[in-house]
Amino acid sequence: MSGEIYLDYAATAPVDPAVSAAMAECLALDFGNPSSTHGAGRRARQLVETARERIGARVGASPDRLIFTSGATESNNLALQGVLRRSRAKRVHFVTSRIEHKSVLDVARALEGAGVAVTYVAATSGGWIEPARVLEAITADTQLVSIMHVNNETGVIQDVEGVGAACRARGVLFHVDAAQSAGKVPLALDSSPIDLCSLTAHKLCGPKGVGALYVAPRVTLVPQLHGGEQERGLRAGTLATHQIVGMGKAYELADPQREAPRLAALRDRLWDALRAIDGARQNGDPHRRAAHILNVTFPGIDGESLRFALRDLAVSAGSACAADSPEASHVLMGLGLSDVLAGSSLRFSVGRFTADDEIGRAAAQVAAAVARLRAVAKSAPAWCSA
Amino acid sequence: MEYSPAVVRQFDAPSRARELPRGTPGLVTGEAEDRTLHVWIRFQLQLQGGVVRAAAFQAFGCPHTVAAASVVAEWLEGRAVADAQRLDARAVCAQLAVPVEKLGKLLRIEDAVAACWRAA
Repeated sequence: MSGEIYLDYAATAPVDPAVSAAMAECLALDFGNPSSTHGAGRRARQLVETARERIGARVGASPDRLIFTSGATESNNLALQGVLRRSRAKRVHFVTSRIEHKSVLDVARALEGAGVAVTYVAATSGGWIEPARVLEAITADTQLVSIMHVNNETGVIQDVEGVGAACRARGVLFHVDAAQSAGKVPLALDSSPIDLCSLTAHKLCGPKGVGALYVAPRVTLVPQLHGGEQERGLRAGTLATHQIVGMGKAYELADPQREAPRLAALRDRLWDALRAIDGARQNGDPHRRAAHILNVTFPGIDGESLRFALRDLAVSAGSACAADSPEASHVLMGLGLSDVLAGSSLRFSVGRFTADDEIGRAAAQVAAAVARLRAVAKSAPAWCSA
Repeated sequence: MEYSPAVVRQFDAPSRARELPRGTPGLVTGEAEDRTLHVWIRFQLQLQGGVVRAAAFQAFGCPHTVAAASVVAEWLEGRAVADAQRLDARAVCAQLAVPVEKLGKLLRIEDAVAACWRAA
């Protein structure tokens, strides 16, 4: 990785060597199609089912409730479209928040185009979705609510238990995008009021291109892919055995109880160093935040210049999925930040392989870049910092 | 976003990113901004005997903006005012291989320098 310090685990994480070893072994030895009934197929099927069990054990789900997909984006699509496009009701209503990931918001917009009414609940300035606001948005036509567990930009942990309980009391299905939380925050899906939950592997030191959707027993979905009966007919296509094996290994290795305290300590040390920079402020309620994410605004700095000045430090302006967009983060603007301040913000995210000494070096690089860019814009008007 | 080697060089070590001291003889200041584009530029020029004796800039903006302002400050210093007034931001953009969508920001550099001439 050259001299780059990698603090972008919320975008993706390095593959754990144990994961890549398991995948390599699978690729080399177990090439069978898991749907085949001969020996090679049965061996591959066994690997898939072992992975399913490992993932289920990590998220507190019966293995048979997990449908393998290509990742959380596909899982979100399958959950939202699978519920809302199946409805024959005249009026269909969907509730989500303004600070969801694009893979939920863009689906919501597509569904609006298909006639689904959508309510986008606002977040508080701390990035918190109040369960009461979600409950208020539910109408007699509401069929689904979708709220992410851990926000991918601020790290704020939403009260999915509270929202889910409210949904269940109203007979409304509840979907959770857990791409940032699975394996990092404890989950017990079978005993929770969550009906659908999107999971991914690559945020958890697993491979890209594989994920899963938890589907509770009472939920029926219409499939979004056709062409096979794999995954109980909900997701057609030959199962990517080696990817699934990698995901299973990643979920087996992940242990929030063990890893979260260390990650929280790294994050807190980083903030302790960054807070010395004049005007630096955290985004998202620090009392409701996952261990691995820190989002900081540095007023008075153009965001693009800051990111370029820090090109040897792997951090994000916001969601990596929107990194090519010149627009400021919709999440930070949803918390009330101006587009200028949202642009002047960086997301730092730590993970399994973040070394202690990288924290201090990263903070020093940020402090130097901020000082240099502020010197170039020393007399800039107030709007550049507001 | 891709940046040309010239942009990288100028952004990493901008030339004349400074403020000229108050009381500098012949000092003129010009500013331009576009809040929607997140760009603000200030140029300071010391004009003496029909020549730009010194040039300085301040900038809030993207790497292309900082780099282009640096190139312009370098270009202005030591140049006859009559010649300096022919500044062409588009030529600077071409020199730095600035993408066309950034032109709106970089034209503010031309505006800031033009404001200096008006203040002279």
